[in-house]
Amino acid sequence: MDSLLDQSSLFLQQLVNGITLGGVYALIAVGYTMVYGVIQLINFAHGEIYMLGAFLAYTMVTLLGLPFFAAFILTILICACFGVILDVIAYRPLRNAPRLAALITAIGMSIFLQNLALMIWGSQIKSYPREILPKIFYQTAWSLGEATLSWLQVFILVVTVVSMAILHLIIHRTRIGTAMRAVSLDKTTSALMGIKVNRVISFTFAIGSAMGGMAGILVGLYYNAIFPTMGYIAGIKAFAAAVLGGIGSVPGAMLGGGVLGIAEVIGAGYLSSEYRDGISYAVMIAVILFKPSGLIGRQIGEKA
Amino acid sequence: MMDLKKLQKNPRLFFLCLFFLAVLLPWLPMGGSTNYVIRVLTTAVLYMVLALGLNIVPGFTGLLDLGYVGFYGIGAYTSGLLAIHYNMSLWLILPLAALNGAIWGILLGAPTLRLTGDYFAIVTFGFSELVVLVIRNELWLTRGPMGLPGIPPPTILGHPLTRDWEFFYLILFLLVIVLAVVTRLHDSRVGRAWFAIREDEIAAQCCGVNLIRYKVTAFAVSASIGAMAGAFYAKWFKFIHPDMFKFWESILILCLIVFGGMGSIAGTMLGALILIPLSEVLRAVLPQSMFSARYLIYGLVLVLMMRWRPEGLIPFERAQARKAWQAKERLGL
Repeated sequence: MDSLLDQSSLFLQQLVNGITLGGVYALIAVGYTMVYGVIQLINFAHGEIYMLGAFLAYTMVTLLGLPFFAAFILTILICACFGVILDVIAYRPLRNAPRLAALITAIGMSIFLQNLALMIWGSQIKSYPREILPKIFYQTAWSLGEATLSWLQVFILVVTVVSMAILHLIIHRTRIGTAMRAVSLDKTTSALMGIKVNRVISFTFAIGSAMGGMAGILVGLYYNAIFPTMGYIAGIKAFAAAVLGGIGSVPGAMLGGGVLGIAEVIGAGYLSSEYRDGISYAVMIAVILFKPSGLIGRQIGEKA
Repeated sequence: MMDLKKLQKNPRLFFLCLFFLAVLLPWLPMGGSTNYVIRVLTTAVLYMVLALGLNIVPGFTGLLDLGYVGFYGIGAYTSGLLAIHYNMSLWLILPLAALNGAIWGILLGAPTLRLTGDYFAIVTFGFSELVVLVIRNELWLTRGPMGLPGIPPPTILGHPLTRDWEFFYLILFLLVIVLAVVTRLHDSRVGRAWFAIREDEIAAQCCGVNLIRYKVTAFAVSASIGAMAGAFYAKWFKFIHPDMFKFWESILILCLIVFGGMGSIAGTMLGALILIPLSEVLRAVLPQSMFSARYLIYGLVLVLMMRWRPEGLIPFERAQARKAWQAKERLGL
């Protein structure tokens, strides 16, 4: 009986960890899915924006001595600007080029930014100094048996849910959100209706990058580790989440992130921890092969 | 620039001269640096072979393949394991490695080549990451992160190859074979079908090109060339490790063909011939800690080439015709 209780609380703990991780994946996945929705481009450099978010907040907290929450907000704003700059200098000139060219540019930017970070911050793993962070992060918010939920996890979940809600409102209740939906349906017609397509695309990059940068800080806090290659794996996993939910669909990205986070933590706990990263790749490949439209995405034709 | 124009006009003559220079190279007086120069050039020729193989997929058929290094790794481990456990001859290992690469290429390609380009890129990427994960974790087969040391050297007529120039000739020989295969394919019916797919899939299909069959063929040929290069690499380096087959290698090879001219055989080779020795120069010039940042340059090359010269140093011959067609399309003719 005792061991059964242990088993169930272990499971509960992993579920909680999985949901936290899934929330963060969802935050990154939103950036992929929105950009894909408007310009049908896999923005490989999105993972690097996430990594830059973690590093920028780290630099502000340690070097400039800013309080954590100020650094948090400032980083999000800077990441949004980064997203716009990325769009304007790298992707906009290639808007009418073959898709292969844009895809190669995206990979090139990703490699470039990652190695730039490597040159600036070095390859050593960094972590946010504990004394700067609010102490409450490391206290238990809620516990049941052996399973615990820390305030840090609560913070991550709250930030995720609130930003998703704001995003939903922006997309469905504002003029720019309506414009975004129009552009993702048909660029030419939107332009004819007087929508400034390039401005809308840049806005999409800004929102996606803001959320990506935020996710970077949250993961940096959660795992206590920031390093230049962190964006590469997280980026791919978030992309897998976006694909799982149905690329182009924002609620799909949230759902996909949650499912993938739980699948990864449970799979690593019960199946094999060596293949932890492999679970996301396998899920992604399986979804692409068998149900390319994802769980709740719109149908994609042969020539999307 | 004058030289580049001449080169574009008649790359064959240029490469023939280069080839004879390469054959004579080990006998040129270079003092103490002969072995170093030969090793660098062996690497460059190895990457020429790799780039020729990768070029078939993005260059000829227009699909972005981010998992090429997976086949390179499969070939290297096939070669290493066969050599260690069965002490097999190089002349058996090379075709077997190529065959193994082709099998995996077909297994991966047949279901995924139905997808649109972006999804295909992502699935191939996932595949190469899975290959590295399997190599790293299946200790019983690959010894995982301990690597696979002590691969016996190849022998020719009972004479084991140990010296640098012997390996240099071996890879030159492989390059000639691969080059012959690739140029013949390029000029064949299959090649024309590939270019038709690249230019317009739907039009190609309407003309009776079986899309799946030709795409899988391209993928399998590309995979087998990658695996064969891997087999040589294992025999040459005598030690292989999962970290040698990470995603960055795929990017490096992609960078070579983008730089040289995607789809162009001469351009692909020129790209490898310029960028690989350059990277070795950087290794000598940069401090150890900064060496890994050379990928910064590769990333920049990809971005700048796509922006300013998407056709590469030596454009694909049919690119001119394509440009005229695109200009017409823009005018609405």
